[in-house]
Amino acid sequence: MIGVLIVLVTVLVQVIVVNRLGLPGGAAPDLVLLAVVGVAMARGPVAGTVIGFCAGLLVDVVPPTAHLLGQYAFVLALVGYLAGRGVGSPVTTVIVCVLIAPLLAAGLGGLISDPRVTIATLTEQIPITIVYTLIASPVVMWLNGRGGQLRYAA
Amino acid sequence: MGESRRARLILGTLLTAALIILTIDHRTGEGSPFQPVRTAGAWFFGGAEQVVGTVGRPVSDFLHAVASAPSAQRDIKRLQAENSRLRAGLDANRLDAARSAQLKRMLGLAGRGGYKVVSANVIARRGVPGFEDAVQLDAGTDDGVRPEMTVLNGDGLVGRVIHVSRSTSTAVLISDRASAAGARLEGGEEIGVVHGVGENGRLVQFRLLDSTAPMTRGGRIVSFGSQRGAPYVPGVPIGVIERVEATPGELTRVAFARPYADLTALDVVGVVVGAPARDPRDAVLPERPRKEGAR
Repeated sequence: MIGVLIVLVTVLVQVIVVNRLGLPGGAAPDLVLLAVVGVAMARGPVAGTVIGFCAGLLVDVVPPTAHLLGQYAFVLALVGYLAGRGVGSPVTTVIVCVLIAPLLAAGLGGLISDPRVTIATLTEQIPITIVYTLIASPVVMWLNGRGGQLRYAA
Repeated sequence: MGESRRARLILGTLLTAALIILTIDHRTGEGSPFQPVRTAGAWFFGGAEQVVGTVGRPVSDFLHAVASAPSAQRDIKRLQAENSRLRAGLDANRLDAARSAQLKRMLGLAGRGGYKVVSANVIARRGVPGFEDAVQLDAGTDDGVRPEMTVLNGDGLVGRVIHVSRSTSTAVLISDRASAAGARLEGGEEIGVVHGVGENGRLVQFRLLDSTAPMTRGGRIVSFGSQRGAPYVPGVPIGVIERVEATPGELTRVAFARPYADLTALDVVGVVVGAPARDPRDAVLPERPRKEGAR
């Protein structure tokens, strides 16, 4: 329940505040991704996958939206599963998830020939987003450390 | 182990679901069956965004301000620089307007007297260190200025040119103690000499050569003119007599006159490069105040 609430609030914060910050580079950290990773790391792969899927659907629905329904649901479900399983230490888990999510989204966009996914997106926008998200990720780790011990299903 | 399989099962199911949703949404386009979901989401989250946005606007504004602080600093600097530049331009405009008015009056005076003038600005003034009352003008030989030419402004006589360089010249004011200018009382033939007495040019001394001629307070003095108009051309207003000295037994009579030209605040002046063909007599004098004219 708390996880759902966290994700819900994060989605709103992302859209209302973070995306409008106008940070240098024209990108913003993906807080939803970090929230999903954090919740999944605390709850395990099953909950992580479900919450990731739901959060993705939410992101797909929350206005302003101009992409296809299900795109982020796919990405975040996978990320939730990965984070719930854990890839090595918690730090590498976060890094891998942060790296994989935008690439996966771009790949999916490429598959359905989204005109917004171009080489420039891959070389310019995504690296900046990844850097920002990585910068913001210690907060998630810290909240996780407070929220309870990590639980991995082997 | 069982949980892991369950997790994978769920993952697979959800990924498939996502792909199916994605495909359906992609294929159907505008008529997508998920359009109501979107509409509902837009309604619900749009409302929430509005509410939270209104409440959180100060927060977001603050964050925005923090995020854009460096560029804001730059903006402030740039705007300040622009501001001061504009203000300077405004001041310059105001000065220009004042100058233009002075120039107009000076040219008007020159026109009334038929003087051919070169306009000049006072660029420096000899003040406290020294005894002379002299100003530097920004017109020189290149502009046709020669030594011993009359300098006037819109109000009256200012002085004469003594040194000239290519682009500047030095003029001695009539308030200088060493300056002497031939002068004539308005409306008559009584002539005299105007001497400077210092006093920052507030007064000049007028020495009337004929001690018997009538001279009263309020009498007006114009320049008498020198040979071939050098150094003084005739007819330029000099000043108004303020008080007449009682000098019994002397050959001349002495009066003190207030110059028309404000010799302490000179800006636009004219150097007379060509004397009028004939003496304008009293034509250049300003009109008498209404009170005296009625008499």
